[in-house]
Parts: sequence; structure tokens; C-alpha cells
Amino acid sequence: MPWPTLNDPVHDSQRLFRQLLAAMSEPGTRYTLDAPQPPDGEIGPALWGTLLTLCDLDTRVWLAPEWDTAALREALALHTGSRVTECAEEADFALVTPDTMGKGPDFSLGSDEYPDRSTTLLVVLDDLEGAEEWRLSGPGIADCRVLGLGAAARPLMARLIANQNHFPRGLDTILTCGARLAAIPRSTRIEEGA
Amino acid sequence: MNGYNFAYLDEQTKRMIRRALLKAVAIPGYQVPFGGREMPMPYGWGTGGMQLTASILGAGDVLKVIDQGADDTTNAVSIRAFFERVAGVETTTATGTANVIQTRHRIPEAPLAPDQILVFQVPIPEPLRFIEPSEQETRLMHALEEYGVMQVKLYEDIARYGHIATTYAYPVKVDGRYVMDPSPIPKFDNPKLHQSDALMLFGAGREKRLYAIPPYTRVESLDFEDHPFEIQRWDESCALCGSRESFLDEVITDDAGGRMFVCSDTDYCLTRRGELA
Repeated sequence: MPWPTLNDPVHDSQRLFRQLLAAMSEPGTRYTLDAPQPPDGEIGPALWGTLLTLCDLDTRVWLAPEWDTAALREALALHTGSRVTECAEEADFALVTPDTMGKGPDFSLGSDEYPDRSTTLLVVLDDLEGAEEWRLSGPGIADCRVLGLGAAARPLMARLIANQNHFPRGLDTILTCGARLAAIPRSTRIEEGA
Repeated sequence: MNGYNFAYLDEQTKRMIRRALLKAVAIPGYQVPFGGREMPMPYGWGTGGMQLTASILGAGDVLKVIDQGADDTTNAVSIRAFFERVAGVETTTATGTANVIQTRHRIPEAPLAPDQILVFQVPIPEPLRFIEPSEQETRLMHALEEYGVMQVKLYEDIARYGHIATTYAYPVKVDGRYVMDPSPIPKFDNPKLHQSDALMLFGAGREKRLYAIPPYTRVESLDFEDHPFEIQRWDESCALCGSRESFLDEVITDDAGGRMFVCSDTDYCLTRRGELA
């Protein structure tokens, strides 16, 4: 069955982009995306909507083995035209799980001169409302913001805390679960506990 | 919409700019190169700001455009008419009712709200350009955080004039890392960049660079302990609305030395006059 795409590509992608822009501007704030739902067992609408909004023939996408299905590859090629790459360092976007980050593929952090040439992580999470609390501060956050995530997110968060040492190089992260997402750009300072 | 895509730019160009904008927000104050397109107006008229506005604008947005604070100057009127025509969006002159405000060289006097986005038109995005003409060198200077030369430039002002003489495009440091050109806004507006409620995006069309300050970000104007940063002050008040807090323009009224001071922000001034009348 072919995957669904945006009903109105121009205005739907604009609406989704503004939510992504708001999410990136206010790290740790959750947004619910009204985006098409891929078939059961595949990625959620927030992640699919993000891919449809940001990917095209100029972008390369890296897929974690557990989400690398023929259906997703076909849908990406059909609806976005973006290329799937096996080389983590080449990826503009990487579809990952917290476990992937524990295993440590070398995604691009950008260079000191061009820190923008880095991979954006698109993370599939089991929940975006967990009991383990992370305290976020930095640009986009008035004082501090507490983001609760499941225990499974731990290897990812450990990697993102280490990420801060490379600033301005680094990974930007969009966390997704079903139709919801939140972002943690590299500028965000993360501490464990509320 | 006469055969144009919504908001003039094609979708692939918008996606390219949108990806660059997300990176710009993630690295506050860093200039992201983007594939700037030719717009139906000359460089220097706000082509960078327009490309950003076109990439973020939605059918439900309300757009305000100002030029030096005024809604009724040529640049502002033209850009507003352009987006009315190619995007069919509602436009306004009221700061409070706009979602997206494109600006040339001012930040509105009325405080901005969290859901508003301010888009700046930037002529020369590189604050170090007048000191170091090579792009390769300035990029390296940013990478190494080598900003001493900027302090030397401000010091030379003090040595020559006894005070820092830079009055507009006054350099700032964003979140303690990148030195950034806030575009040629008067230094009067610099404090409004600090911990702003609204997202601020900067676009330079000729130089093909864009950058951003997310809301609630630390933005410091460069200065010295013994010569702290100060904004402009006037002895006069606005001749029309009487404001003592706003940025004033000096207007020559005749050829016999007559002059008056009026608010540069027309919406602010008109609102005050409406309330006072």
C-alpha cells in the first residue's frame, strides 16, 4: 500500500515547518503534528510529517536498521526524492532510536567553520512523557524547562550531553513519538534531574 | 495568484531555506550560507528578508512590514503589496496583530509577543567585514572565537572621540559565543534583542547568509567596563505624541533652521495619539 503524503503540499508543509521552527526555538516544548499516518508498525505521523516537510532531492537520509524497511525507502523515494545513505557521516537527517545512539555511528558534527553542515537526528521514542526528568536551559528557554522521557532514552541523552562539549559543532535532535515531537538543538544545556 | 507559487518562491527553495533556518536557530548568531534566489527587486531592498518571510509565511498569517520604523515608506509599502499579491495574506500596520513582521533597520517600540516572528533585512551580515575583507579569514575568526579585533575597533573610537561612536549595527555577542551584526538597527534597539519573547530571523540576500536569535537568548552589546554600552537619549520628546521613551527622528521642516523630533515607529506614535486624543 502506498504511503500517504501531504494533502496540500504547499500549505501543509508550511504549517508543519512552523511547528518545527517553534519546537527548535523553544527546546523541550511538545508539539502535536497533524500529519499523515504511515501504515501500522512503521514510523509515526510526526516523524513522517517532518521527513515530508524537510527532505527532497538535496538531502541524504540515514536509516537505523530496525526502521529500515522497503516500504519506508520506497515512500521516501516516491514522496521526497531524497537518497538513503549507508554512510552515517554523510547524512543530513538520520532516523534513529536511542539504542542506535548507544552504538555510536559517527554522524557529522559539522566543522568549526561550517557547524551547520551537521546531521539532524530524528529520533523514534516509545514515549515522550516519561518519568526520568531532564533539565534543559539555554537559548529558547526563559529559565529552565523540564522534559520527562522514558528510561529507554538514556543512551541518547548521554550522547546529547557529550554533544555540548563540541559546540558550535554538534547534533540537533528532533524527538518524536506518534504524532508528537519536541526538539533539542545543540545549544541546549542538559542536566539530569529536575 | 497569477501563475506564481504561494509566496513567490518555489517549494524546493523554501525547503532549502527552512532547513537552513532550523540550523540557524540551533546555532544562535552563526551565519548559515543559503542558496539565495533572485527576487523581483534589486539587492539592498530587502531580498534576504523577503526570502525568509516567503519561506515561513502561511495563508493564515498577518504580515506587517516596516522600514526605519515606518509602515508608509516606499520599501515597506512595496514589500507589503508584494506579499498581498503573491501570497494573498492579510497585512496590517498594527504591531500587536501581526504574526510575522519584516523590518528594515528598526525593532518596534511595542514589546513583541511569544508567537510573533521578526524578520530583519540585512545588508552586510558579517560584523568583522570592515576589519577583515576575506570571507575565509572571518570564518576562521568566528571558528576560533577570535574577536579581540572587534574590541580594538571600539577602543579606537574611544581613543579618537572619547566614547564609542558606533550608533547603529552595533555588534552583539549571542549566548556568549558568536559576535553578530544585528543589522543596521540603532543601538537604541539592541537591548530589545536580549531575552526577547519573539523569535528573530535575519536574512541577507546579496551575501546569501541567514542567522537567528531564538527567544529568551542572552544578547550582550560589546563594551568595556569603564565605557559601558549606552543607548541614545534625547532632550526632546516626540512633537506629535509626546513620547519620551521612543526612538526619535529629526525632521527638517523649513529652510530657516526649523526642525522637529518625531517617533520613528509610526504605529507606536499613531496608537499613542489615538489614546491621548
